[in-house]
Amino acid sequence: MMLEKVIAAYSEAVFDTDRDKAFEVIHDAIAQGVTPEEIVFKVVIPSMEMMIKAISEDFDANLAQHFMASQIASQVTDEMVARFQTSPETIGRVVIGTSYADLHTLGKRIVSGCLRSLMIDVIDLGVNVSAERFVAAALEHDAGIIAISSMMVHTARSERGCLAVRQLLKERGLEDRIKIIVGGAPYTWDTELYKVVRADAWASDGISAGKVIKDLIEGMHK
Amino acid sequence: MMTGMDRLVAAIKGEKADRIPVFCNLLDQGAKELGLVSLYDYYQSGEYVAEGQLKMREKYGYDNVWSLFYVGKEAELLGCRKILFSPDGPPNVEHFVIQSYDDIHRLEIPDDITHHPVFVEELKCLQILKREVGGRYPICGYVTAAMALPALLMGMDKWFELLFMGPPEVRDELLAKCSLFCQRHIAALRELGVDVIVYANPFGSTDFVPLPYIIKTGIPWMKQDLSAGTQGIVYYCGGARFNQVIEAIISQIGIETYYLSPLDDIAAGKQIINGRGLTCGVINDIKLIDWSEEQIRQEVKRMLEAGMAGGKFLFGTILMPYKIPERNIRAMLDTVYEFGQC
Ligand code: B12
Repeated sequence: MMLEKVIAAYSEAVFDTDRDKAFEVIHDAIAQGVTPEEIVFKVVIPSMEMMIKAISEDFDANLAQHFMASQIASQVTDEMVARFQTSPETIGRVVIGTSYADLHTLGKRIVSGCLRSLMIDVIDLGVNVSAERFVAAALEHDAGIIAISSMMVHTARSERGCLAVRQLLKERGLEDRIKIIVGGAPYTWDTELYKVVRADAWASDGISAGKVIKDLIEGMHK
Repeated sequence: MMTGMDRLVAAIKGEKADRIPVFCNLLDQGAKELGLVSLYDYYQSGEYVAEGQLKMREKYGYDNVWSLFYVGKEAELLGCRKILFSPDGPPNVEHFVIQSYDDIHRLEIPDDITHHPVFVEELKCLQILKREVGGRYPICGYVTAAMALPALLMGMDKWFELLFMGPPEVRDELLAKCSLFCQRHIAALRELGVDVIVYANPFGSTDFVPLPYIIKTGIPWMKQDLSAGTQGIVYYCGGARFNQVIEAIISQIGIETYYLSPLDDIAAGKQIINGRGLTCGVINDIKLIDWSEEQIRQEVKRMLEAGMAGGKFLFGTILMPYKIPERNIRAMLDTVYEFGQC
């Protein structure tokens, strides 16, 4: 009962992009005896999942809301995880970066924040990431997902971008172990483009990315 | 034979012309036209850019030419020292002038843009365009709104952080400087004979921020940017949607031309504008890479059917990706030339 009220108050604050209010709700709950584990698994994640559902049902959220939701949720998660009794189990690991010759970071930042708050481990490789680095980092960190963000058509379609990552995975026989997800403006403007660049999946925003990546990870575990 | 300017003026006045005006925005493609391999070389010379613009307009027969090289030029005027050039796509800002809040206090806005050393080649380009097609084909210029300019100076994610979570006085100091730059940039372009100024403000779109935010915070900054008047100004949100915002912009700022998002409903946009200005129907030009010629014809026809009734309408593209095949550019233009006859 108490938790339901917390979820409602927290979700409302996130929806209103009111970061101070969201933290106030969380800190009040902690003061009343809710554990950090409960905050993450019974408040933050369900609230994120409610947003995923709302968006898939065509709720018209704008970018400022996506940004604030991802920032608030990932900050709350970071703060709570630091207080966990035992270190948490993650559901999977993702290496993320902006594609070769692309320097745009906002999309990647939003996606990363949403993933972190869903307890997916994110390793951020930064901008202008070569295909070799994507693959090497995925192997080094034992990540099952390579996530590539592109803001422009030429960096999405480049022979040195996603296509080259696919080529490397194929050559090294890694296609069963590592999946590729792409996103960014060119993919939202051309929803078939992810197939052209031979990615496994794409998502139109950070919150949906959380769901698509969870599904990919679960699919691989089967 | 009517010129592009005749068509534009007719569309503004709601009078008849041979066909609707067509704004086809080809930038990087100019290099190919001149047989240059390197976009870097192309953008080092105002003569090249002007020649590229003139050649492409003549070859394809559309109605406008551009003085814009690439959007990152504005950052260079404000101190950016490195632009990343690609062989097959637009140049991007690589060095961000603002790395800390102190850099915001230090940011200086040049008071004379026209004679700024970074502007030399654009100035040459504009002079050539003016000499060659001035008065006959509208010369377009591009100006980033105060609210969007910080994206080029500090990166979009740091700007979001400052805008929505940072200290208000630092945010407002930056916005005030960016607005001053925007006003001076508009004044410089006007003085040099630019006819149409595309005023780019993604933060004027409901895809970015909620309508109440645009009304309360966005519009006051837009008013300041445009305090010298809205003559020749085109409202454009970088391709993001803004149908829901048009009414507020018309009543509070009075801009008369709306360059819709490809995702906005053209007929609905036109209905909101309701004769008070010009509507530009804009094609999703990213799809022009893979669409067949027949798909392109169908899409263009659909757009014209939605927008042409009652006049005051033009057809436009966003910034056409380099990869669009020439035959698809032709398929798009031929369809507008055929079905866009008024
Ligand atoms: C805001 C904007 C600008 C601003 C700020 C740009 C910046 N960040 O520096 C300004 C006005 C300055 C600008 C300039 C330019 N722009 Co611009 N811009 C836009 C606009 C309107 C939104 C882009 C944006 O920042 N969105 C916000 C972010 C968060 O969204 P996002 O990256 O799409 O990310 C979301 C999803 O895609 C997804 N996602 C993102 N990454 C990933 C990764 C994974 C793995 C997953 C699953 C999901 C995912 O989740 C995110 C959160 O919801 C788009 C059009 C549009 N409506 O999309 C054009 C657009 C991106 N711009 C474009 C271009 C060409 C440019 C310029 C290169 C123009 C030029 N010739 O100079 C310049 C470059 C400036 C520079 N950096 O040097 C084109 C790119 C397409 C193309 N032709 O290649 C677009 C698509 C417009 C168009 N249709 O022509 N631009």
